[in-house]
Amino acid sequence: MLIPVSWLRDYVALEMPLAELGERLSVATGVVAAIEARGVSDEGGNLDLFRVGKVLEAVKHPNADRLQLCKVDLGEAEARQIVCGAWNFGAGATVGVALPGAVLPNGLELDERMVRGESSNGMILSEEEVQLGSDHAGIMVLPELVPGTPLADVLPLADHVLDVEVTGNRPDLLSIYGVAREIAALYELELAPPPGIDPARADEESLSIAIDDLAGCPRYVGCLFREVTVAPSPVWLRARLLAAGMRPISNVVDITNYAMLALGSPLHAFDWSTLRGGRIVVRRAEAGETLRTLDGVDRRLDPSDLMITDGERSVALAAIMGGEETEIGEATTDVLLEAANFEPFGIFRTSERLRLRTEGSNRWEKGVDPHLAGQAAKLATQLLVEVAGARWVGEADVHAGLPERPSIVYRPERADAAIGLPTPPAEQYGLLARLGFDRDGERVLAPTWRARDVTREIDVVEEVARFRLDDVPFTLPTRRAMFGTLSRAQQLRRRLEDALVGLGFSETYTPSLRPAGTDSGPWSLPEPISVELTVLRTSLLPSLVEAARRNVDAGAERIALFEIARVYLAGDDLPDEHVRVAGIVEGGFGRAKGVVEAVYRALKAEPSFERGEDERFHPGKTARTAAGLVGELHPAALEGTWGAFELDLELLFAVSQEPVTFEDVVSFPLVRQDIAVAVAEEVEAGALVAAVREAAGPELREARVFDVYRGEQLGSGIKSVAIRLAFQSPERTLTDDDVAPLRERIVATLAERFGAELRA
Amino acid sequence: MASYGLGSLTRADGTVARVDAQTLESQALSAIEAAATVDEVEEARVRFLGRKAELPQALRAVRDRETGMTLNAVRRRIEESADTREEELGRAELDRRLREERVDVTLPGDELPVGHLHPITQVRRMVEDAFLGLGYEIRDDREVETVAYNFDKLAFEPTHAARSPRDTFFLDETRVLRTETSASQIHQLEEREPPVYMVSIGRVYRRDAITATRYPIFHQFEGLAVDRGITLADLKGTLRHVMRALYGPERAVRFRTHYFPFTEPSIEPDVSCGVCGGVGCRTCKYSGWIEMGGAGMVDPRVFENVGLDPELWSGFAFGCGLERTAQLRHDIPDIRALWEGDLRVLRQF
Repeated sequence: MLIPVSWLRDYVALEMPLAELGERLSVATGVVAAIEARGVSDEGGNLDLFRVGKVLEAVKHPNADRLQLCKVDLGEAEARQIVCGAWNFGAGATVGVALPGAVLPNGLELDERMVRGESSNGMILSEEEVQLGSDHAGIMVLPELVPGTPLADVLPLADHVLDVEVTGNRPDLLSIYGVAREIAALYELELAPPPGIDPARADEESLSIAIDDLAGCPRYVGCLFREVTVAPSPVWLRARLLAAGMRPISNVVDITNYAMLALGSPLHAFDWSTLRGGRIVVRRAEAGETLRTLDGVDRRLDPSDLMITDGERSVALAAIMGGEETEIGEATTDVLLEAANFEPFGIFRTSERLRLRTEGSNRWEKGVDPHLAGQAAKLATQLLVEVAGARWVGEADVHAGLPERPSIVYRPERADAAIGLPTPPAEQYGLLARLGFDRDGERVLAPTWRARDVTREIDVVEEVARFRLDDVPFTLPTRRAMFGTLSRAQQLRRRLEDALVGLGFSETYTPSLRPAGTDSGPWSLPEPISVELTVLRTSLLPSLVEAARRNVDAGAERIALFEIARVYLAGDDLPDEHVRVAGIVEGGFGRAKGVVEAVYRALKAEPSFERGEDERFHPGKTARTAAGLVGELHPAALEGTWGAFELDLELLFAVSQEPVTFEDVVSFPLVRQDIAVAVAEEVEAGALVAAVREAAGPELREARVFDVYRGEQLGSGIKSVAIRLAFQSPERTLTDDDVAPLRERIVATLAERFGAELRA
Repeated sequence: MASYGLGSLTRADGTVARVDAQTLESQALSAIEAAATVDEVEEARVRFLGRKAELPQALRAVRDRETGMTLNAVRRRIEESADTREEELGRAELDRRLREERVDVTLPGDELPVGHLHPITQVRRMVEDAFLGLGYEIRDDREVETVAYNFDKLAFEPTHAARSPRDTFFLDETRVLRTETSASQIHQLEEREPPVYMVSIGRVYRRDAITATRYPIFHQFEGLAVDRGITLADLKGTLRHVMRALYGPERAVRFRTHYFPFTEPSIEPDVSCGVCGGVGCRTCKYSGWIEMGGAGMVDPRVFENVGLDPELWSGFAFGCGLERTAQLRHDIPDIRALWEGDLRVLRQF
């Protein structure tokens, strides 16, 4: 929210530098306050170059039909000649003038110059040029003033604005007065009474207001006005709204916005003559009811929506937006002012459902103090009478009792225990008093404007803590138990990451959400922010394939990428989430399998591969382990020859033998032997090795295929597979005689299972 | 008898040749001396000591002990001389070869594959290590949560903006992509009695459009300490330690009041800007401080929601973004660079 400092000064005398105020609000109140200068810069006496002028003469420019040539008295010895493009004034008008050398808020520096052959010694100002309004069609005509008076003395030309970002628990700060109250408490300053004094009632007309749903609308203050003159607001009012970031519309609407900004309780104004029923009934919407809101949209209402009706039909979506039919227009003369209070959750639900958030709904959702409605009505009433010439003829205030101030048992020692810094009770109660709390024996009473936020002892503790935050020392918990270790899975994950990095892979992170249609995952967002991020992925590989493709396009070489992340599979109540590692690397099947084998080795695990099947992979070059897939990518997935793998971390770590058990491989020598067997082409090497291991028993330390040969003498459909064997016992030296029967068993088993013929 | 022993040998043809050992020795030694290469030494060795050479043949034929000793001595001296010469020449040849093998050492070495850990992982490990040092355990929880765990048990009020599908990715009315790692607090406290000291690290999701500063998917680390007598001062001390572990011991840390549903009091830590040292610059938006995340004392409602007595237990929690940490550490201006898998970027880290 934007807080114009000049407006703030209406309620509290600010003596501290604004930068310090921003810092204090930031630390103690938790509003991020940026301070921005607004309007005409005061740098180098610039403000002094803006003066009140009186137009002595205004005639058509001799050389330009659309320009006026003016003589303007600026209280100097001689009147200045100024060329002006606007025609909404004539001789006798009092105007604002910027003299040569002046810098406008938009950065333009004026100089004395010739316009179509006539010299122009300044600029007659429009509101827009000095950021006092949005009207740039004509210049700003002022009431009669002494020529030469500094313009800043009569108009808020220069101002500062605090941009405060209010946290959700402090709706009381969503108003200028609320911020003033907070500042007064922080600095122990005097706070002016809240703005708004009821003027005299001009008449006593009765006003009928009924609330069907006091839970949804705990209070409704209605004020009736006659003979209202709808017109643009005066400059000061428009200037304040603009500085606070709101667009001026018309005096009646501007007044409701002004009162909302000043006090934090939103208001609404109806054109009374359009309320056909002549009364106000607050009720829930009826089934099938619709309302065209003043943004021109027809809203289909739900029976949970709270409506303002005129007894016959809905005229406003309570707390969110008024109806178009009952909007204030130029011809409006009779106005019903609404200063109500609405319960947050219902408003939140309706505004959610309709996707409609407004300045009003934003405040109601956070909870507005029902006590404020009366004051807001007073301020708006005062302004309608003063600014719009209204006659105030009727009022009604309907509620079922305003909420009591929260009464909370408070133990000052609890604050000391929570904060870790003792604050004497008297000091605590003193701080609380500044914030509007009252002590009541063992209890404290919270102010009405904090009634939603401060309901428990801990909430009161926070009030003390925020005052003393800078003084709180830096300590560490006194420990009775320690937990500082990585779990086995966390240790293995680091090892896995390091192993892949060691193999030349670069780690990448890709989004967990995939474009619709690229992943048939069971979980997808009904309302994604883009089609690119729609489905929770069931595999990491497609994201890596895309990353690899982008890298190819970028001209990268030796591409090798991996990612460790979750996939989201079908589950019961929630997705079955698994952490996986996936990689993609330039090169074929052998490369990918080599990487997977190296990963298993790094994790002290023994992979076992079998033929796998997956449409993303080359149909003849896909293997699987218990943890996942490895293979050569299908050429349709990515041009070129690529290896890829995707493994489940939990399954991978489950087979890790870490910590490894020592084996004596030093005391007794290895006996190496090679065998070569001829088998049918379709017999897989893995099956042969598995059979070899099974046949040989524990003394076979190593069995690795090192050659596969095909040749004419073998005959077609036959291959020779050479396997390197190494035997070793941890207990004794094996002799050739020990190994011979093992070898025989191997050969016999291979012959029996695969019809293998020993070749060497 | 001369001082050198004289031997005789019977040739294969039956003739007997007298061998003059002294002459043989001097011939052999000069041949070895004259050898210019290891091969020439080897040739001389074969010529004088080879199987068919005179000296070995004489030795084989020798019958008397004295002659044998004399001839053996000659043979030994020739062998020693050959060995010495061979070693000399060998060393000289090696020296020459090595001199010839001189390379341009400024040429690049073999190009070996070098991989890279992603900056987020590097920062994750730094965070883990900082907390392990403080005696915390590390958690990694599920990313899809129920509304109960993501909001209700964490005491989000029914109208909190995060409950809106405009801020949060809902799968349906009861399931969301977690908006912060805080649900881990509930899991941890439901699983085990305090004391609890843990940090949860993982992906979280917010409904933000992708820009240079925001990405709808990012990583958080979130700590929780629950024990007896934990104070706001403990939170300040812990966060200062962690911030300095991540950003350097010279950094100042300050705290601002804030609001979160699940902590009370709530604060936000700032770290003094590392670019300008706190004077004010573009990076810190001229404030001298950089916002680091959120923190606070665990709200009694959260304790009640997990069945703990807030009169007995107290605790603090805090959360920060890993991307932000990585960006600040490495001066990465655009968060998207962390998500694009571009090797030109990844290979820098």
